[in-house]
Amino acid sequence: MLDFLQAASDGVLFGTTYALIGIGFTLVFGVMHKLNLAYAAASIGAAYSGLIILQAWTAAPAWAVFLAAFIAGGLIGWMVYLTCFHFIPLSHPLAPLMATVGMLLLIDEIIVHMTDGMPQNYPAVYDDVMLRIGEFMVRGDLLLVGAVSVLCMIGLLALLYRTRLGLATRAVSQQAVAAQLCGIRVGQVNAMTFVITGLVGGLAGALIGASVGALSPLLTAPLTVKGLIVTVIGGLGSIPGAIVAGLLVGGFENVFQLYRGVTERDLYVMLLLFAFLVFRPGGIFAPRGGRD
Amino acid sequence: MEFYYGLAQTIGVHTLLGLSAYIVLLTGQVTMAQAAFFAIGAYTAGMLTVLAGWHLVPAIGAGALTGAATACAVGFPALRVKGLMLVVATLAFGEGVRLFFFNFDYQVARGEIRVGPLGGEGFRQIRFFQENGWTTGEVMLFIWVFVLLAMAILWWFDRSRYGAVLRAVGEDELAAQSVGINLTAVKVSAMTVGGAVAGVGGALYAHYTTHIEHANFGVLLATFAIAYPIVGGLRNVFGTLAAVVFVQALLVEGLRDLGDWRNLLFGALIVLAMNLRPQGLFGGRRA
Repeated sequence: MLDFLQAASDGVLFGTTYALIGIGFTLVFGVMHKLNLAYAAASIGAAYSGLIILQAWTAAPAWAVFLAAFIAGGLIGWMVYLTCFHFIPLSHPLAPLMATVGMLLLIDEIIVHMTDGMPQNYPAVYDDVMLRIGEFMVRGDLLLVGAVSVLCMIGLLALLYRTRLGLATRAVSQQAVAAQLCGIRVGQVNAMTFVITGLVGGLAGALIGASVGALSPLLTAPLTVKGLIVTVIGGLGSIPGAIVAGLLVGGFENVFQLYRGVTERDLYVMLLLFAFLVFRPGGIFAPRGGRD
Repeated sequence: MEFYYGLAQTIGVHTLLGLSAYIVLLTGQVTMAQAAFFAIGAYTAGMLTVLAGWHLVPAIGAGALTGAATACAVGFPALRVKGLMLVVATLAFGEGVRLFFFNFDYQVARGEIRVGPLGGEGFRQIRFFQENGWTTGEVMLFIWVFVLLAMAILWWFDRSRYGAVLRAVGEDELAAQSVGINLTAVKVSAMTVGGAVAGVGGALYAHYTTHIEHANFGVLLATFAIAYPIVGGLRNVFGTLAAVVFVQALLVEGLRDLGDWRNLLFGALIVLAMNLRPQGLFGGRRA
């Protein structure tokens, strides 16, 4: 029982990063009704950019690396928007999807090229801290991951529900044409969505690097799959859904890793997804119908 | 010459993979499960020739059937969800199948060695062509017979009433439904045909590489499957073939001299191609 609780709590804390990646997919989908498959790769790429700071300034504190990853995430997000969405007409819905795939491969290859394919050490934060409650332990680095992710989610929700930009973003996601008629610059909102999700992704990438202790381009494919699963389980376009689903998937996979081993755990995550698709295809928080 | 035969084999098998996604894309559905059907065909046919001692041709048929049956079974629940949900559902299914083969052991002692799939190590010794003394050229011709057959059948589908129905669903589901087209039947049938074509491709792939493992059938292969028809354009089957030649011959082999930079250019060229020709390199005005 204690093992179960331990695995579940570790998983839920790590699941906050899945939640952040899921939010990125879901926001872009909500606003543009398009999938940005390059997102997880961009997030890992942004985390790598943090390492460049370390090369120039070897004694750089961890927050500097995180900040660099955060900013790089925004920049990469904007570049993905420009290269994969801005110039492609809306009448070809498959083209931007394919372009983001190209971008995914490109980012992966740039990482491999720059690091000779070797995994890179990432500065761990608070990895020697342990909170003990009897036999039950909470790893300090995972606690940091959870705390930063929650802060980031609160910031994002405040941005979406308390600012004019957030209002415009929600308007575009509800009805792009009507929003445009009201004088909202849809192109600008789309670009800003990519920058904001990029910032979140960069932070998520850095958190993943810090809690795993290393970064490798091999992280991008599983992270893409997990992020998409979180998006679907939570309900496409729903931010609270992505958060809940991220925690759920994180806890679920860690529990199954405990009982069934690391090679089988993802199989159960897929089964969870299929259970949702069959019994609740709209996800936990299905968006209200009749959006278009 | 061997090199070009080998290249032609790769192009042939990838064309089958692309065609299997092509027919599903005609109905407007993006499927990331083609690599899974490809894997199922590969493992089925490989196990039948190696473990059960079948001839290759019926084994390929069995690969096509299992591919089609799985696609049909996946099609019903998966096609309840539309558009991007389907992308994710099929992606997860594909990963699930890959993980299944990652954990799949079924070995039989054959003389000195044990043969059959062995989890993460994969499935070695699929040596039908070598044991029966086929040359590379003959294998290449054999593969292309299947490729041309698949292209001819899909071409004929495209020209027939069935093709018109598929494209009608792809253009506008609501309009198609209102003229009495059964959406589920059309989508599931397209998925089934795609599964069969992918199964044939996988069966051939298993036999010309002689060694398959779960890592061959990951997200990357699924992405390539939909990339070929999208990059080539959905006007007709030749777009897919042309895209496979463009990617495999020009990008993968042609840029080999560039060494490391080849992989960088690969992604960048896809992005560039989609920006310049969003309807596909060889697509018509309206895909």
